[in-house]
Amino acid sequence: MKQDGDSTGSEVFFESTDLSANMEDYMETISLLSSRNRVVRVKDIAKTLKITMPSVSAALNKLREKDLIYYEKYGFIELTDQGKRVAELVYRKHSFLKRFFGDILRMEQGSADEEACRIEHHLSPEACRRLYRLVEFHDAEHGSEREWTDQLQDMMEEGPLNELREGQSATIVKVLGDSPLRKRLIDMGFRKGERITVIKYAPLRDPIELSIKDYRLSLRVEEARDIIVRPLEHRRHRRRHGKE
Amino acid sequence: MERNRQAMKTREITVGLVGNPNCGKTTIFNALTGARQKVANWSGVTVEKREGRLKHAGASIRVIDLPGIYSLTSYSMEEIITRDFIIDDRPDVIVNVVDAGNLERNLYLTTQLINIGARSVIALNMFDEAANKGLVIDSDRLGTLLGMPVVKTVGTRSIGITELLDRIVQVAQGADETARHIHIPFGDDVEAEIRAIQQKMWEDEAIGKRYSTRWLSVRLLERDTDASKKLKAYPGHETIMEQVAKSRAVLERHFDDDIETIISDRRYGFIAGAVRESVKKTAPRRVDVSDKIDRVITNRYLGFPILFLFLWALFHLTFALGEYPMNLIESGVHQVGLAVERLMPAGPLKDLIVDGVIGGVGGVIVFLPNILILFMGISFMEDTGYMARAAFIMDRVMHTMGLHGKSFIPLIMGFGCNVPAIMATRSLENRQDRILTILINPFMSCSARLPVYILFAGAFFHDQAGTVILSLYLIGILLAFVSAKLYGLVFFRGGSTPFVMELPPYRVPTIKSTLLHMWDRSSQYLRKMGGIILAFSVVIWFMGEYPKSPEIAQEYDTRISALQSHNALVIERTRAGGATSETIEAMRAELDAKVESLEVERISRAKRNTMIGRLGSMLTPLTEPLGFNQQMGISLVTGFVAKEVVVSTMGVLYHAGNGAGGAQQPIDRAIRRPEYGITPLSAYTFMLFVLLYVPCLATVVVTGREAGWRWAFISLFYQLLLAWSVCFLFYNAGKLLGF
Repeated sequence: MKQDGDSTGSEVFFESTDLSANMEDYMETISLLSSRNRVVRVKDIAKTLKITMPSVSAALNKLREKDLIYYEKYGFIELTDQGKRVAELVYRKHSFLKRFFGDILRMEQGSADEEACRIEHHLSPEACRRLYRLVEFHDAEHGSEREWTDQLQDMMEEGPLNELREGQSATIVKVLGDSPLRKRLIDMGFRKGERITVIKYAPLRDPIELSIKDYRLSLRVEEARDIIVRPLEHRRHRRRHGKE
Repeated sequence: MERNRQAMKTREITVGLVGNPNCGKTTIFNALTGARQKVANWSGVTVEKREGRLKHAGASIRVIDLPGIYSLTSYSMEEIITRDFIIDDRPDVIVNVVDAGNLERNLYLTTQLINIGARSVIALNMFDEAANKGLVIDSDRLGTLLGMPVVKTVGTRSIGITELLDRIVQVAQGADETARHIHIPFGDDVEAEIRAIQQKMWEDEAIGKRYSTRWLSVRLLERDTDASKKLKAYPGHETIMEQVAKSRAVLERHFDDDIETIISDRRYGFIAGAVRESVKKTAPRRVDVSDKIDRVITNRYLGFPILFLFLWALFHLTFALGEYPMNLIESGVHQVGLAVERLMPAGPLKDLIVDGVIGGVGGVIVFLPNILILFMGISFMEDTGYMARAAFIMDRVMHTMGLHGKSFIPLIMGFGCNVPAIMATRSLENRQDRILTILINPFMSCSARLPVYILFAGAFFHDQAGTVILSLYLIGILLAFVSAKLYGLVFFRGGSTPFVMELPPYRVPTIKSTLLHMWDRSSQYLRKMGGIILAFSVVIWFMGEYPKSPEIAQEYDTRISALQSHNALVIERTRAGGATSETIEAMRAELDAKVESLEVERISRAKRNTMIGRLGSMLTPLTEPLGFNQQMGISLVTGFVAKEVVVSTMGVLYHAGNGAGGAQQPIDRAIRRPEYGITPLSAYTFMLFVLLYVPCLATVVVTGREAGWRWAFISLFYQLLLAWSVCFLFYNAGKLLGF
């Protein structure tokens, strides 16, 4: 299997495949299965995509009509040359999108994969090209001093206070809005960089008990939504790039 | 100089107590003044104003307790009151009570006091708790940094109070070395802009005379609407405001943040510096138990059961235990009445004193046991810190109705009696939440309404009586929710208030503070509400007795004496006929019953002729569409005093006695007699009306006292309207459905 289609080195073009999202999925699956197994059967495709065998057959017939695969009833499936090109394109798109979500936006492997699947069929070739450039830019940067993705990551982690778990600590980034509540909170010590801990949620999940500056305070969830914080310990273990 | 000091000594020193909520300000106030307190409201608002006087070292001192605030801005009534007091009343000394265990946040207010230029003394309160937390505070160092004396105190145990008083007197006399005016540095950029604004202000000397120009400049920069209103009184205000706008724009552009954040950041920066220099953190001496208690009390599964257990206990203590002293009071009042009756010659004056005044006094003090016990419980809950937890647990539910978590306890207490329940709304700091809670409290069906339900449900619904009564309670709760929404929509458009509530650490309450709290509430009840309730009760008693109807009395006297002589004759004749003594006794009883029923009829006729009776009859066009007969109408009018009266009035009007006489029936049988035309439907409607219309006179008075008379009238009108409309719809819908 080729690793992460980025090793081509030369200019990469993303042209439209003229296939529907479903058909692109089939092509991707066939390509994947054929690189993993010796032969590809209808049964394998059905299992991978969780679709019934007759539906798979119907789809395969359509792909055959477009000269993308060789397929005889009850026989094995193989990609034509043109099919291989299309599959390659689809796969390349998928893999760099997955890296976009995983490396740059720092999402978990599994969800990065899912997001890539969701978005890949809908992007225009131009958008693909630009996103691909962004991933390339990131790769060229990594190892350098700036590590802008680390800063980016910190920002990615920022979120409203009410998304913290019980016992989780965070630093305040800002208090949104322009309400009397905001002024009251600022007066009570909710300022940038201040450490805040969610002690617990009330039995009905609202309000929230907080600890800030040596005292305890309770706020309703809707009010906590306006307080943007950066969690101190990250919610999940993350793949780190670069020097670490 | 010496003479000056002498003059100072003879003059009274005015001291304002300022501090955050939960800093123990009240304990300091109590320690300073004891029970010598005067409670009033700040003019125009229903925020409590407490005052006390004392003497110390030859100086007489007047202490004013200001509302608990976090900041001296103008976002709440409490903040404006405190601020105006400092600026306009110019107290000699401000005692800034500071929670030693929560220094940084508490000192924020101190920085604003410094800014406003108030001469202050800091009471570093609860320093024992801070010490347990492992905080070692160098109070002298802190005082030097802040430019004001710092005295360590423990309000609950009266520690440090003498020293605090010494310092107050010294500062008032200008003899304290620590007291000096310092500036909180806001940084070069901000300072430059402040100076630019000050420059404009100095052009008008009058401003500088009244306000600290530095303070005013900062407030204006922070977009304080109240400050700009104050400035409007001076001719140069436009050029000053122009400068303020310019400066603000410069600063916000420079810092890329809003000005409030910049300035509060600088204040906290200053505090952090002062704390770093004066506080040492060591290992805590004692483990913080608060968290451990909280792990149980606000636990996801145990939180509610514990809360309900607490409430059940509070409810029972208040109303079940309270019943014994209440009975004592009632019988005591009765005894006094009897004694007076014996001593005084018969006549209208005697009636007035025995039935009107003594009865009225009884009606006032009968609430006292409830109030005492309830406030003992509430004081306990507040002082321990449980009240905040109860609100924390219940807020999710109460908030859906636009109420606050703390509304829950007064509402529950309403099921016992609305009078102490409405007084209990004082735990709610926010005025809007408090008024809303007061307004819907009457829909919590109080225990005085229960006898009416028992009578009617028992008479007309027999086996389903329990279900019927339960349904009334539930309808009350439902309509309370609906009314809360409605009131919120009409009067409190601003939406619900934020729930920024501190959860103070658990503390052991002191007996002294609990007793003071109880004393405070009861004496207030007696002084402020007792008089009005008494006066109204006498008026209504009068309306229920007058005009006397001598012609009716005479008519019945004649009829009764005629009947009596007739009876005597009949008995005489029967005896002459040789009847056994048993027969004669039976006959006598029968004839006596006839006389008695005439007596009852007389009272009933007389009652109808009184002002209240006539009012009831006059209201027939209003009560008839609800399916009420005249007797029911009159009972509702008398029930305005108290719901207990409804049943006794009905007894009178329906010629029902206590069941002893032969001709008289017990009241529950009497009301079922077909000639009165009460159907189960109209009976239910009647109960509904009793549930919804004004609970009693005392409730209206308490509402007036606690929320303001405007609200009392709005609530009175709303309840009558709601009761009538709901009953009208219910009765007519019921009739259409064939009940």
